[in-house]
Amino acid sequence: MPCWAGLQQDPSTIPLSILPSCFPSLLPPSTPREAVLLWFFPFLPPILPGCMYKCLIKLSLHQRTAQGTGSRMAHGILGLLRPLQSRLSASRTRLVLLCAETEQHQGPARGWAERAFSSTHQDAPGESSSEDRVTVHFINRDGERLTTTAKEGESLLEVVVNHNLAIDGFGACEGTLACSTCHLIFDKDTFQKLDAISDEELDMLDLAYGLTDTSRLGCQVCVKKWMDGVTLRVPMDVSDMRRQLEVGKQSKQ
Amino acid sequence: QDLRCGRPSVSGSHVCNQYGTSGSLPGEKKELLQNGPDLQDFVSGDLSDKSRWADYKGNLKREKGERLHLPPWLKTKIPMGKNYNKLKNTLRSLNLHTVCEEARCPNIGECWGGGEYATATATIMLMGDTCTRGCRFCSVKTAKNPPPLDPQEPYNTAKAIAEWGLDYVVLTSVDRDDMPDGGAEHFAKTVRHLKERNPKILVECLTPDFRGDLKAVEKVASSGLDVYAHNVETVPALQRKVRDPRANFEQSVRVLKHAKEVQPGVISKTSIMLGLGETDEQVYSTMKLLREADVDCLTLGQYMQPTKRHLKVEEYITPEKFKYWEKVGNDLGFHYTASGPLVRSSYKAGEFFLKNLVEKRKTKAI
Repeated sequence: MPCWAGLQQDPSTIPLSILPSCFPSLLPPSTPREAVLLWFFPFLPPILPGCMYKCLIKLSLHQRTAQGTGSRMAHGILGLLRPLQSRLSASRTRLVLLCAETEQHQGPARGWAERAFSSTHQDAPGESSSEDRVTVHFINRDGERLTTTAKEGESLLEVVVNHNLAIDGFGACEGTLACSTCHLIFDKDTFQKLDAISDEELDMLDLAYGLTDTSRLGCQVCVKKWMDGVTLRVPMDVSDMRRQLEVGKQSKQ
Repeated sequence: QDLRCGRPSVSGSHVCNQYGTSGSLPGEKKELLQNGPDLQDFVSGDLSDKSRWADYKGNLKREKGERLHLPPWLKTKIPMGKNYNKLKNTLRSLNLHTVCEEARCPNIGECWGGGEYATATATIMLMGDTCTRGCRFCSVKTAKNPPPLDPQEPYNTAKAIAEWGLDYVVLTSVDRDDMPDGGAEHFAKTVRHLKERNPKILVECLTPDFRGDLKAVEKVASSGLDVYAHNVETVPALQRKVRDPRANFEQSVRVLKHAKEVQPGVISKTSIMLGLGETDEQVYSTMKLLREADVDCLTLGQYMQPTKRHLKVEEYITPEKFKYWEKVGNDLGFHYTASGPLVRSSYKAGEFFLKNLVEKRKTKAI
């Protein structure tokens, strides 16, 4: 028994004219009612609340479920809905997906409804499960060890900046290969497994202070699953080195 | 202490004990909270009194791992007002950029607002709003290949500035290492157009270092400007840390020297940011080096961290210390030394310049 989020009335009484005009491009109409629906598409009012579109997708899905094409339809429609996504919140997008899957598996109505109403805003698209997170360690210029979990595909620069790690003066050019402030030192094994370095990155890296054989620019290295637990070192600045030497000298005296 | 008359500290600690919470604050902090200012002090307006800056008890020097709080003398008003909005709209309609907006200058409200003499000052940024270098103190956008130059820009800029009827204008630009001459010809053209439209206007150019290309420096210096400015930004010891590696102290000083060689009558100017971890000796020796390079004007300001991607502030220099540096600068023989926490290279540049010129003329007459 399909469940309708927020839909108080019987689906059959919903005015037929409010379906998205992208619908005709899918499977041909199989019932007379659907044929009528398709014919009304060009006359759609363009501005309607997004939730209404959603409800009407449900309507069409309901027609199809009996033929067992529900889930694929849901995904297809979701793809077509991407242009509308700016109007629709992420939670609603997942609502549809949940709806479709429920129909397939005929899950309990109440359980689904609870999930639907308690859906919270998370990163769109898709959901990030805990398996996608990669643990990365940074040793900053003061010798502190900073640990964070990053998503696969995030560049190391994004990790440092977005997770508010205590590394300042990092990523001045915002990842456009126009500076060398995101210079990081890797351990040998990790370094060898990284993607090949581009000429542009090499040009900028050459200007970096404290260059080593295992140095790369953080904005060009993306986090991958196999990097789980890797430790990266932020190289010391010129002034840090001098300060260390001075402190060393003073302690000797 | 006279503001907190008649408030017994006994009741405060009594309240604490009543609720059974001893809190996690150290003893001296608790005392500070009990004996420190209360709502009445803030409301009465006494705390905004500048003479009490000496009482500021906050930390001014950064310890490892901490972030300093902004001291009261650096707090500025939110920019608002008719003049401010008028300028903003004019700039957008003419597709011009200002470094005031791009670099998030704290003085934007004051300079654009016009002050008591209603003379608005804006520093126009030529060659777009995207730089090819990423320095760790600057929040101007960076890209490897910024959009190409607008050939109408020299003409539009001159037109806009003539419309505003300014007496003193500062032109600056981003670094354009992607251009063969670094944008020098574009710069020079703007100055020439400006002087054509209004010969009496005073023009100051805050230029990049053109990667040390002295021919480009010559092009700009001989375009007819009055003040040639180029910032060394910090002491030589911190250049590598603060600026892009393609920039350095010797190159910048060479640029300033060459401008004077090519155009002997021009006035040269530079600027240093304090608060990045330099020592007093380093600042003094830098000032001496600059004076030896025959730099005429110097400005000293406080570095403020623009975004979290930039360097943290190592130290907040007090206004009294800035006054000390001003005295040192004047003793060393600079034409003028503008020194203050919110002073930037082109802050009240016109006022300082004209005031100085007028005074010098007066003393000559006498």
